[in-house]
Amino acid sequence: MSRRSGWLAGHWLTVASPAVLLIGWELAAATGLLREAFFPRPSTVLAHLRRLIADGTLLAHALPTLGRIAWAFALAAVLGIAFGLAMGLWRRLRESLDPVFAVVYPIPSILFLPLVSFLVPRGETALIVTTAVTSFFLIAFTTTEGVRQIDPLVVEAARHYGARGRRLFTAVLLPGALPFIFTGLRLGLGFALIVVVAVEIVNATYGLGALLWLSWQVLKVEDMYATFVVIAALGAVLSYGLAALRARLLPWAQDVAER
Amino acid sequence: MKVEVDDVTVAFESHGRSVVALDRISLRVVAGEFVCLVGPSGSGKSTLLRVVAGLLRQTSGAVRIQAERPGTPATAMVFQEHALLPWRTVLANVAFGLENRGVARAQREARAREMLALVGLTRFARHYPHQLSGGMKQRVGIARALANDPEVLLMDEPFAALDAQTRTIMQEELLRIWATLGKTVIYVTHSLEEALLLGDRVVLMTARPGRVSQVFPVELGRPRGLEIRASQAYGVLLEKIWSQLREEVVRAMGDDRGA
Repeated sequence: MSRRSGWLAGHWLTVASPAVLLIGWELAAATGLLREAFFPRPSTVLAHLRRLIADGTLLAHALPTLGRIAWAFALAAVLGIAFGLAMGLWRRLRESLDPVFAVVYPIPSILFLPLVSFLVPRGETALIVTTAVTSFFLIAFTTTEGVRQIDPLVVEAARHYGARGRRLFTAVLLPGALPFIFTGLRLGLGFALIVVVAVEIVNATYGLGALLWLSWQVLKVEDMYATFVVIAALGAVLSYGLAALRARLLPWAQDVAER
Repeated sequence: MKVEVDDVTVAFESHGRSVVALDRISLRVVAGEFVCLVGPSGSGKSTLLRVVAGLLRQTSGAVRIQAERPGTPATAMVFQEHALLPWRTVLANVAFGLENRGVARAQREARAREMLALVGLTRFARHYPHQLSGGMKQRVGIARALANDPEVLLMDEPFAALDAQTRTIMQEELLRIWATLGKTVIYVTHSLEEALLLGDRVVLMTARPGRVSQVFPVELGRPRGLEIRASQAYGVLLEKIWSQLREEVVRAMGDDRGA
């Protein structure tokens, strides 16, 4: 038996359940059990997706979204890691910022759009900053925890062997927090995608969120589903990409996570 | 005299009460000697070791360590839970102290490899700590301490967490390494059998406050192996120290229950 078929034997449910769902949907729509006007067949959606790709519509909407995610994620990551590390290291800073974060964090990010629009130039910048808000909090929280969960005995041993000041930070505290930081980045990237689509629905002409909403409003339901598929695929690629990066950069944390 | 501990007292506040962990302890260790500290829980064995290591500051009294080779640290500690840096390979863990002191890469890695050979881990230089067994981790801990070529090697119940067979192997290994390098060792343990197998002298400590109760020379010859357990002198000495230790343990348990 080959390795591949061995994998399939072990994971056949993972492959079978979405396949059954799609085939069932296809049949239900074909037989009129589902109204095709609202639930078009998967094969039809696929055809529309091909057309959106071929005529350049998808690219015209996907590129602005990717650009916004990239900027927002970079902003959230840099600030989130900086704040998180500082809060992990200094108890007083943590104690003064914790209540503020606790109040602001659960507010749905989209609600920051009007506020942000007053503070920064309208348009792109406001979209990017709004997209970054929730990701920033997630990354800051996990980074803080990452610093705090480092075994104090390991820190004591490192000090004993001469790691002080900057050296203690770069050789012990930062690498010790990295697995948590990566978890924060992965969550933050996922939320950036969620929020950017929401923000684009409200306030953008171009973007996957805008395409989704426009398709719905003019009842191009097939295009709406096609956009769904693209957004879902984008989320999966980003998430697994970051997981693969983590596996490459943190080989020492990988086996622990898998166990 | 290699190590002189003079009238050292360690007191700290706990729940608003002043607790005396060490009460005017004095101890002398000659160069090349292997001294074992034994006593009930709460007798301050580990506290004394941490004061000698400079990890904890005494309230009063003085610790002097005679330095013969300038540039090398006075002490290096082998921690109970190994306390290796999980994100560093075995080689980088062993070289950590030298790296912190600014020793060039080629030089520190050569030294680390030498120490890994000494503890029998040459093949595992590129492994991460989580890929090693408990006994192997503690070998790395010993190699890390020895790589610094300290004046005094401090060991805080290094084999307490290992299973009985591994512990026995590690004790024999430690005796071999000690005979090779001729280091001065201060070794904390719960186990009288271990202390008699390893030590030149056994220092019996009392609990609450921690004091030196009695010092027993171990005149069982060298080199020593597990076969000494069959000798009459061993049995007599074990019985003699145990009758003392027993009193201390019972008294410490009474303190825990009462008061």
